[in-house]
Amino acid sequence: MKKTLALILVGLLAVSLAFAAGSKETVAKDAGPVKITFWHAMGGVNGEAIASMVAEFNALNAGKIEVTSEFQGSYDEEFAKLQASGGNYPCDIVQIYDIGSRYMIDSGWVLPVQEYVKKDNWNVNQIEPNIAAYYTIDGTLYSMPFNSSTPLLYYNKTAFDEAGITKVPTSFEEIYEVAEKLRVVNPDGSVKRYGFGMGNYGWFFEQWMGKQGLHYVNNNNGRGEQYATAVAFDQNGGGLEIVKVWDKVLKEGISPYLNIGNDDAKAAFISGNIAMTLESTAALKSLLLNIGDRFELGVGYFPNIHKNDVGGVSVGGGSLWMLNTGDTRREDATWEFLKFMISPEQQAIWNVKTGYFPITVAAAETETFKQNIAQYPQFQVAIDQLHDTAPQYAGALLSIFPEARTTVEGYIARLANRTVDAKGAVEGMARDINKALEEYNLVNY
Amino acid sequence: MAKNFDTRAVRPAIKGHHFWLEPYLFLLPALLVFGMFLYYPFFRTIFLSMFLTNKTGHAKIFVAFTDKDNYLTLFQSKSFWASVAVTFRFVFAVALGGLLIGLTSSLLTEKKYRGSNFTAAVYAMPIAIASAAASMTFKMVLHPTNGLLNNLLGTQINFTGDVRYALASVIGLTIWLTSGINFIFISAGLRNVPAELYDSAAVDGAGYWRRVWSVTIPSISPTLFFQIIINIIGAFQSFSQIKLLTEGGPGDATNVMVWSIYMDAFRNFRFGAAAARSVILFLIVLVITIIQFRFEKRGVNY
Repeated sequence: MKKTLALILVGLLAVSLAFAAGSKETVAKDAGPVKITFWHAMGGVNGEAIASMVAEFNALNAGKIEVTSEFQGSYDEEFAKLQASGGNYPCDIVQIYDIGSRYMIDSGWVLPVQEYVKKDNWNVNQIEPNIAAYYTIDGTLYSMPFNSSTPLLYYNKTAFDEAGITKVPTSFEEIYEVAEKLRVVNPDGSVKRYGFGMGNYGWFFEQWMGKQGLHYVNNNNGRGEQYATAVAFDQNGGGLEIVKVWDKVLKEGISPYLNIGNDDAKAAFISGNIAMTLESTAALKSLLLNIGDRFELGVGYFPNIHKNDVGGVSVGGGSLWMLNTGDTRREDATWEFLKFMISPEQQAIWNVKTGYFPITVAAAETETFKQNIAQYPQFQVAIDQLHDTAPQYAGALLSIFPEARTTVEGYIARLANRTVDAKGAVEGMARDINKALEEYNLVNY
Repeated sequence: MAKNFDTRAVRPAIKGHHFWLEPYLFLLPALLVFGMFLYYPFFRTIFLSMFLTNKTGHAKIFVAFTDKDNYLTLFQSKSFWASVAVTFRFVFAVALGGLLIGLTSSLLTEKKYRGSNFTAAVYAMPIAIASAAASMTFKMVLHPTNGLLNNLLGTQINFTGDVRYALASVIGLTIWLTSGINFIFISAGLRNVPAELYDSAAVDGAGYWRRVWSVTIPSISPTLFFQIIINIIGAFQSFSQIKLLTEGGPGDATNVMVWSIYMDAFRNFRFGAAAARSVILFLIVLVITIIQFRFEKRGVNY
């Protein structure tokens, strides 16, 4: 009995060893398609779009290139995994959010896309200039923009019509006015519908700095010759203006406090509890799907803090980074894959399926895009807003942006709970971020 | 098969002085696994806690016993002490709440009645639910404007974003999640209480509550003790509820130590500070475990 068991175990061991050896052989072989791995952070509808694009690329390049796409969780989680790999190159190409850009540049793991642009004589002007500006530092295009978005004002058009509102607000002065008319109160005094509601999302804070035409950090918003060493939003007064608006909105009950992130705000908007909200262009498709016939969805520009603000929005979302794996065959294959992902046809499909911008100018000429715009004119607003901004509002680059964003959100949460006032919140944000930045710069440069 | 094996008959064939190595060879596989996954990370954490680390987590500047010391920085930070206090409140409430609900539910299903199997299944169900999935569901239930709970109560309370409710919400969810395993273990414990004890208590004229207090509780005290330890350890490790419901906020209201370790290491790139927090958490858990075993000698009847 024992002998038989031992024999079985030994047999199993031998088989598994044989498999282990076998799998190594297939990797080592030089023939066959070049295999590259693509890490992304797109779940849900967006993730399905990625999967079908990758499948199409693989079908087109059968026998030559084989891309494996791996969903790695949210941007934050994916970023943390890449970081934890400590430069062991777990993949060939990785999608990183906008605020991870400075970290990636400093990491030394990256092969700037510019190198292949040069090698391949590829014309950078194919990319929307306001999008390319974000990822171009000192004339070098570091990563390939892929899923670009800006924030928008979404509104319940049915509610607007009922209240007789025809002009979509473009600044907070106008939002206060309109929200008052949209507010519906139950007989018992509780609010049935708020006129406006927004999530506690640090991205909005960053956008409003650009909308005021002001910098978030020093040293030319972290894009100069030297990296950022301190925040600027406390010195130039922009931060306080934003937090004062946020404070007023919460304190006067114009918006309920809808927690960190945008999930709760989105849910409240879909169910009709708030009549206006702020969200990324990338949420357009899922909002349309989730709202269905409940009400008509309207879209407007991301509102100014003050009527006479002169700046513009910057692109958020993510871009695709090539990792410096040192394997030329794989890097060549990665470049082919990149070109495919941003080709006009693919970008038009990507736009239709998700709501992210087509980052390629020529995508606007495709049939797919034209049909979609005709069906959902809301997409056009996002594109107009992008064209109306300018490269100088491209937004800050900051190594510790994830922490900075969390810090801002933390102080807004305290503001909502009245444990800090507007002035104290801005001072706290600046103090915490500067301290973190100082330590980061000390150990990393 | 089972022959008596006389080791002396075999051993002398090998030279005696080789023997000291033999037991260690047998231990080697276990030591390798433990070393790799337990001891190495443990000592590495202590090592890292003495440094400022760069963005990839490599020790860069030795700061122990200087004014930038990770521990010193923590001890000087208000947020850290708030986090310690929150952790204790959280662990205390969850360990006790989970135990009480487990005890109550298992007493309720102790006697068989129509449908008691169904009730038992309901009480045990939380074991089968992943904390992340439960948190996502609760996020909807607790939604500030159109959540189920607010609709039922007719209120508009922000359960996860209001300092007054955030910790209670996370505690409530965690208690519910731990109640299932408490129910199973305590139910099993109840089955092992000898019926004679109840019979003689009944003869002595003890009512239900008296029997529970004087017979049941002392008889299952080893199970209760075991469950408290499991609850405490589990509560110290709670993470997904915090991440998905409150992100440690608002302010430091739900900033338990495990969450702050995660934030320092994986969002703020400060592995040194995260390591220092881990070491402190380790010491806290160590002290609690020692106290528990001291207490066990006095309070538990085996």
